Amino acid sequence: MITASMREGSVADAIDGVVPRQIIEPADAKELAATLHAASRDTRITVLRGGGTKLGWGRTPHPVDLLVSTARLNTMLVHRHGDMTATAHAGLSLMDVNRELGRHGQWLPIDSAFDAATIGGIVATNDSGPVRHRFGTPRDLVIGVTLALTDGRIIKAGGHVVKNVAGYDLGKLVSGSFGTLAAIVDATFKLLPIPQASATLEASYDEGETLARDVMQVSTSQLEPMAFDVMLDGGEYRLRMLFASSPAAVASQVESAQRLLSRPSAVITGDREMEVWADQTRAPWTGTGAVIRFGWLPAKLAEITTLMQDVQQIAGPVVMVGRVGSGAGLMRVDADTRAQAAVVERLRSSVWVGNVAVLRGTADLKQRLDVWGPPASAVDAARALKQMFDPAGILNAGRGPI
Amino acid sequence: MDERLVEEFRRIAAPENVLREPIKLLTYECDALPHLRETPALVVLPGSAAEVQAVVRLCAKEGVPFVARGHGTGLSGGALPVPGGVVISLARLNRVLEVDIPNRRVTVEPGVTNLEITKQVAPFGYYYAPDPSSQQVCSIGGNVAENSGGAHCLKYGFTVHHVIAVEAVLPSGELVKIGSPLPDAPGPDLLGLLIGSEGTLAVVTKVTVRILRKPETVQTLLAAFNSISEAGAAVSDIIGAGIIPAAVEMMDAVAIRAAEAAVHPNFPPADTILIVELDGPSSEVRELFAVVEETCRRAGATTVEVAPDESQRMRIWKGRKAAFAAMGRVSPNYYVQDGVVPRTKLPEVLGRIAALSKRSGLPIGNVFHAGDGNLHPLICYDERIPGQATLAEEVAGEILTYCVEAGGSITGEHGVGADKRDYMPRMFSDDDLDVMQRLRDAIDPHRLCNPGKVLPTPRLCGEVPGPYRQHPVEAAGLAERF
Repeated sequence: MITASMREGSVADAIDGVVPRQIIEPADAKELAATLHAASRDTRITVLRGGGTKLGWGRTPHPVDLLVSTARLNTMLVHRHGDMTATAHAGLSLMDVNRELGRHGQWLPIDSAFDAATIGGIVATNDSGPVRHRFGTPRDLVIGVTLALTDGRIIKAGGHVVKNVAGYDLGKLVSGSFGTLAAIVDATFKLLPIPQASATLEASYDEGETLARDVMQVSTSQLEPMAFDVMLDGGEYRLRMLFASSPAAVASQVESAQRLLSRPSAVITGDREMEVWADQTRAPWTGTGAVIRFGWLPAKLAEITTLMQDVQQIAGPVVMVGRVGSGAGLMRVDADTRAQAAVVERLRSSVWVGNVAVLRGTADLKQRLDVWGPPASAVDAARALKQMFDPAGILNAGRGPI
Repeated sequence: MDERLVEEFRRIAAPENVLREPIKLLTYECDALPHLRETPALVVLPGSAAEVQAVVRLCAKEGVPFVARGHGTGLSGGALPVPGGVVISLARLNRVLEVDIPNRRVTVEPGVTNLEITKQVAPFGYYYAPDPSSQQVCSIGGNVAENSGGAHCLKYGFTVHHVIAVEAVLPSGELVKIGSPLPDAPGPDLLGLLIGSEGTLAVVTKVTVRILRKPETVQTLLAAFNSISEAGAAVSDIIGAGIIPAAVEMMDAVAIRAAEAAVHPNFPPADTILIVELDGPSSEVRELFAVVEETCRRAGATTVEVAPDESQRMRIWKGRKAAFAAMGRVSPNYYVQDGVVPRTKLPEVLGRIAALSKRSGLPIGNVFHAGDGNLHPLICYDERIPGQATLAEEVAGEILTYCVEAGGSITGEHGVGADKRDYMPRMFSDDDLDVMQRLRDAIDPHRLCNPGKVLPTPRLCGEVPGPYRQHPVEAAGLAERF
């Protein structure tokens, strides 16, 4: 018997224009599991929602019977500050988590472009931002999960110690699974101390060769930035490096970095620094254009800048941000859908680029291409796992990536 | 195994790479947990990924269980053969395929040793971060299976944080690529699932790892304390000050005495010693190291010795790394346990272990990674005294109970393997374990891929881990346990 809050779906709940028939907000893990169990038994197509900030990612859904929201699973369960770990409900926002952790001088080092993004959604999408340069993506920080399964069971994997090799790491498995395997009830993370001081260095480049050379200079040095990013906007590249450590170490690293760069650079601190990184994280998501995620081989940045010229010939000005240490990029293309599709095709045909996925796009764009691109090599294994976790095939059905 | 099948294995891997003589099979009966032994029907040493695939396909077709093996340094019986089954040794797959310095990655076959990767890239100023103490001999394929860590994983993480892609043969015989050389491959993190799955989901044939730029500076200190709780307080204060050391290691009096007897590192005769290492940009290390020193003194350190140069730093590490093998100097037999507790529970759990030592009459030495709460109690006993070996096993099992009760884990780095599968129910519910079993069945429906490992099998209930015995590679001085 489900007592969770339940209501009819409305236009405000629409995913790519598809209005879910029913919205359920379970009050706890048990209700969440029971909801999924019932949906599986009745083969009701189900989409999981945290903050709803990335709900449009994926293929356009077929009719959605049920949207299950984690909004009421919103508790900070425990912050073991002495152990530098914390467990939070899936429906709690990253912002609230970090506000709570900050009281003890710690943080969960993940960036999100969206204020309302929840822990569950961030893990399920494995979404990341500039600080992945040092800390990796959410999958690198998750040390335990509780999952609600479509057979009504609630299970755990991992734990709340950082070092632990007992059993299969299901926390990693659900990272990037886009709600296709199970619902995340809560997740446990390793935490980091908030650095005492920080400063950001910014330099501008009007062409790619010099930019790529400077990036290589820093990459091969022994400098250890926390974030190392580039932004293409208005035809100009800005290189941004965040140094965070003790005050003297920050000052000394900034100085060394300035010496390595061939261009003059500005040192940015305080509120302005916060704004710069908020801009770096959010810029691809402003406006309404298509947002394309892509990866490149880090040493091929010069080739990527040439590719950006091709892209801008196809679609006019674009906004691109990239983590130059790992080669993780996001691009916003504001042109019409035909041009957007041509950009995706151009990126997919490049030998330097891979994992090209359309994260945000109109239904029209999504009809022109597969947002996820070609299936991965181990697709059969992924499908076998999907079949095992979700035999009725209800979770995020057809929206992918599996 | 019938001759027709043996012939087929010979056809795949050439006759000289298929071993059946009892004397040759002996080497493969166990890994570095030698009290667990089984004799396989044969050992095959494929020379390429295609041969591995052909071997697995044949096993799948004929319903023959198979166990992948790297260099046999595992400490949980993860490479224990299945009687009548096949051992797939990856020792011949030992080529370094690509060293890509500009993109900071190296691709190797699974039989390449952990240290070989660092050797390949050291001339360029890079290294491979995970550093299990067997790194001179352990294989990268084994590291992937076990999600190996090392003394420096507090700051740098485990194998799972440094491997970006693998090529692997699934139990069906399908050769697949998992992970991606480029970031953000869409979909569930199969690579994260595979790493640490202890050879139960696939046989890895190629591994691409990230390499890191060598830190500008490394500094190490050795602090002596009158009690483990003072040393523990120092660790809490260091981490509480926002410092993440590259390594934080602790040894108690029993372990110090043993290390002194074996390798004479000239450790102070303290109740507890603490080794703290910082690395990174010079300016940062210099500033934070002063804080670490001061914190140790404030916490009651009787002496604080800063290694003035690389040779003194190596001396400190030599003493620490020798601690396990050195126990042989102070006890005829000993048993190495591997458990984890939340760092703040260290004093409480160490207190329980001390009480257990007193109650059982067995001395217990403690050497551990204090930064991440990974305990390695060394339980000393004498097998010539009737009942002591059994008592040591019971004591070792009891310690795992303390770890679980403190909110920790039954294994931090040695793995579950065949050794600890029956302890899994202490950490996980029946439902948790059932889902793990079903996941495994989804990938390996015929249960041929390293069966009998990781998950408990009811008929084997009551088995307990056995005592420590020196592994041949240890005896030869090639590796030390951590």
